[in-house]
Formats: sequence, structure tokens, C-alpha cells
Amino acid sequence: MTRPFLGFGLGLRTDHYDYVETHRPDVDWFEILSENYMVPGGKPLAHLDRIRADYPMVMHGVSLSIGSTDPLNTDYLAALKALAERVEPEWISDHLCWTSVDHTNSHDLLPLPYNEATIAHIAARIRQVQDLLGRRILIENLSSYVTYHESEMSEWEFLDEIARRADCLILLDINNIFVSAHNHHFDPMDYIEGVSVERVMQFHLAGHSYSGQMIIDTHDHPICDPVWALYEKALRRFGAVSTMIERDDNIPAFPELRAELAIAERIAADTLAPEQLETRAGRMRGVA
Amino acid sequence: MQALRRMQQSFLGHLLGRPSDAVDYIQSTPEASAAQRLGIYASGYRLRLKEALETDYERLHAYLGDDLFDQLMDAYIDRFPSHATSLRDYSRHMDVLLRETLPFSGIPVLRELERIERAFNHSFDAADAAPLDPACLESLPPEAWPGMRLELHASLSVLDCAFNSFPIWRALSRDEVPPEVAHEPSTWVVWRKDLVSLYRSLPPDEADALAVARDGGDFSALCEALLAHHAEQEVPVQAVTLLRTWIDEQMVVGLA
Repeated sequence: MTRPFLGFGLGLRTDHYDYVETHRPDVDWFEILSENYMVPGGKPLAHLDRIRADYPMVMHGVSLSIGSTDPLNTDYLAALKALAERVEPEWISDHLCWTSVDHTNSHDLLPLPYNEATIAHIAARIRQVQDLLGRRILIENLSSYVTYHESEMSEWEFLDEIARRADCLILLDINNIFVSAHNHHFDPMDYIEGVSVERVMQFHLAGHSYSGQMIIDTHDHPICDPVWALYEKALRRFGAVSTMIERDDNIPAFPELRAELAIAERIAADTLAPEQLETRAGRMRGVA
Repeated sequence: MQALRRMQQSFLGHLLGRPSDAVDYIQSTPEASAAQRLGIYASGYRLRLKEALETDYERLHAYLGDDLFDQLMDAYIDRFPSHATSLRDYSRHMDVLLRETLPFSGIPVLRELERIERAFNHSFDAADAAPLDPACLESLPPEAWPGMRLELHASLSVLDCAFNSFPIWRALSRDEVPPEVAHEPSTWVVWRKDLVSLYRSLPPDEADALAVARDGGDFSALCEALLAHHAEQEVPVQAVTLLRTWIDEQMVVGLA
């Protein structure tokens, strides 16, 4: 396995800046939301620089709009590249979605029809982005609430084929698989087993909420047991994959999130061999 | 890609509340119709934009109360679809709405409160620059002074108010009952020092001088502005005192 393993990380949130800078908690890495730091200066970048000095980071974006039929936003890509030069992240990710059309932004991660025309369109755009950034990117699967009549394949076939044609990597969101499996009546294990092992570079874990018959990807609750169970199965298939928890609302104190991350470490320690869990920093994770 | 483009335009039109055939693209299931499924995105769209407006205008929200601020947000979202890449830029037309839409256009103090909040939001993440070293003034040759121009910190805004908007803003910031609106012409400066946003009022002479500096006027123009407030022989001392104050307060980042 040549995949770099960063260990277990958390999403860096403004609520936790002071705690992280004061206590230097035992977390292997942080994921930042790229757009939060695409600002001219001030506190956000000051905190970013201080925390980056002590932790590996990855950059996660929401505005690439890779599935849009508008031209790629070159201003955004230039800002993303400039931020990457500052942060020197392990990798950069965004979502397999569209967010805007006719230069009007939904500020949401909107799903795509799963068909050949969309695959060709997006694979070409990912290649353009990778050329511009000078690196491979990771694309992440969404939670979704609609299925298009024009879809001709499963979501995992769509994701995997785009990754293959664009030669990009995959950020697999375990919670999103669970949410979409519920909302669209598929077996989440079909998804896990349908994604190429060698392309998956990172896992996301998160909580969600129920709204009537649907599950909404709200990132405002702890991770539920079925998602932990799916995480264990994902580890069995993919091996040691850098794992982090996303929490965007109802954000608890840092130690509470750290304790939730310890559950992921424990599951990984119970599922994988110790040598698989050796991070690039040379530490054994999840082993007491 | 025309089929995908038409679908995206239809979907987005639905989010914006415009006539749209988006529902025709979506499968219905026994537990949720296509319209219900699309509705999750439509309500999420408005919620997200409202969160952005609430974040940017916390004091305006407190001043108007929940119902009126919600009315303001609905009017804003209906009039201004987002053309911003980032939500932090979404609220940038709020001054237009407050100027042109009743009942808000009939309450002019709202426009001043909006400018104050916008100035603080701007100061928070405006470009960094090292403050000017006060020793720079000592090494400046006498002949360089008249044509010297100040480079002010990017975070700095000078605000002219007709009302007691800053006292109202300050009370709202402290969760106190704001004073009644009163005509109270005054000038204020908002800027960032050591990563903290600060504000203070400017006496009339300093307000005029700082306005000259902000607009790119040189030191002799700044002195000329002070002539309206001070006797001619006092002007050089007043001007240098102001300059030293601004440098101490990290408002100045360079000389040109």
C-alpha cells in the first residue's frame, strides 16, 4: 500500500482556534475549509499560520462547482492555488457536484445525473483543474435527496468512472453513503465495494438528522452507530485511510470532538493490523 | 452539455422561486415526491443565505428585531440571487436594499448601522501590512515632507454619520437598549490594530485631515485642511501630532 496515511484528524473550526493554539491537542492533522481562508488577511490567516506550524493540513473546498456547465471559475482556482502555496496541504479536495450556473450560486452541493455525458464533462474539467493546480485532487461523494430520470448508473459507478478517467483521487464520505443509501434505497455495501481501493485517499465521518422519511446531512450531531459500523466495513475494504470528523453546526467543545475521534481510532485498531496504522509521522495510532 | 445545462438552469430557477420545470427531472418515490425532494434544496437555499446575512448584520438584526429582520432578509434574497463565489460576499448589496425598499428606506439610521457593520466586517479580514515604524519620520529629509503621502492600513474606513449611529451600535453590541435616534453629525474611524478591530470618533480637524490622507492627498494638502480649524502657525505641530497618533495606532503602513 503506497497510500499516505495521515492518521486521524478533525475539521478546523473557528470555535476551536484558541483551544488548539493553547493546548496543542493530540490530533494527527486538520482539514480546513479552503474558502474560509481565501481572504486578504486578518485573524483567519493568522490562526491558520499558527496552527499549520504544528499540524499537517488538508484543504477541503465547496466552491469548485466541477459539475457546472459554466466555465471553470479561474479567479477561484487562482485563489485556491495561492492558498495551497501558503498552506502546503497534503492534498486538496472538493465535491462531485455543481453549485452554480449562469454565474448564480446556490451555495449548496447539488447532485448530478449519473450518465456518460456528465462523466465526460466532469472528467475533462477535473483534468483541467489538476493541470492548473499542478497536483491531483480528491473528489468527494455527496449526500443527496433527488434522483434524476436521466441517471443511467449507480452513484458509485459514476464516481469511480470519473476518478478513473480524470486520474484523480477520492474522498469517501462514509456518512454520505449512509444518508444517500437511506434516501435512495440502495445497499451501502454495494457502494463501498464498488469504489476502487487504490483511489480512496481520505474518509469523512459526520452526523446527520432525520426530516420525515429522509435523512439530511446536517453535520450537527455525533456519528451514529450504523455509520460507525459502515466505517469498520470500509476499513476492511480500503485498509488504513486518513480519517476525519466533520462538525459544522451545534459544535461541541474540542475535547468532546476529540473523544469522538478516539472511537474512530479504536475501531481502526480493532480492524486493522498495527503496522497498517503507522502514520507517515511514524506513530502508531489507535493503539493503547 | 445542453441537456445538463437546461437541467441546472431549471433546478436553480426552482431554488430562486422562479417558474421552473425542475420537478420533471426528478424521480418521485412512495416516501417523498419529486416536489418534496426538491423542497429540501429550496428551503436549504434560503436558510443558508439567511445565515450569511445574520452573520454579517448581527447588530442590524438586534435593532430591527426578528420579524422585521426576517422581512429584510426575505426581500434581500428575492432581489439579489448570489453571484458571489463565497457567502462572505453575499450581503454586499444590503445598502441598496435599505435605500430603495420600504419600510427600511424610511428609516435612514439603518443605512448608517449597515455601513458600520460593513466597516467592521471589512476590518476583520482586510489585507495584512506591517505598521509603519515611527522612526521613519526621524529619517525623513525636510524637503520630502510637503509631498509625502500616507499609505493607510487596508482595514481602515472613515464613516460620516448624521445620526447617533455609533452609540446605537455600541449599545446593541453590549446587549443594551439602544438610545433613541438623534441627529448627531460625527465622523468615526474603524480599523484593525494587532488583529483587533477598533473604532473611535474623530474631532472635526482630524476627520478632515484623515479624509485628505485617505483620498491620497499629500502632507501639504493635509496641512491646508487643518487651516480651517487652526491658526496658521499651529498647523505644522497639529499635523505632525496627528501623524504620530495615526502611526502609534497602526493606521499607517507606509510613506510614499
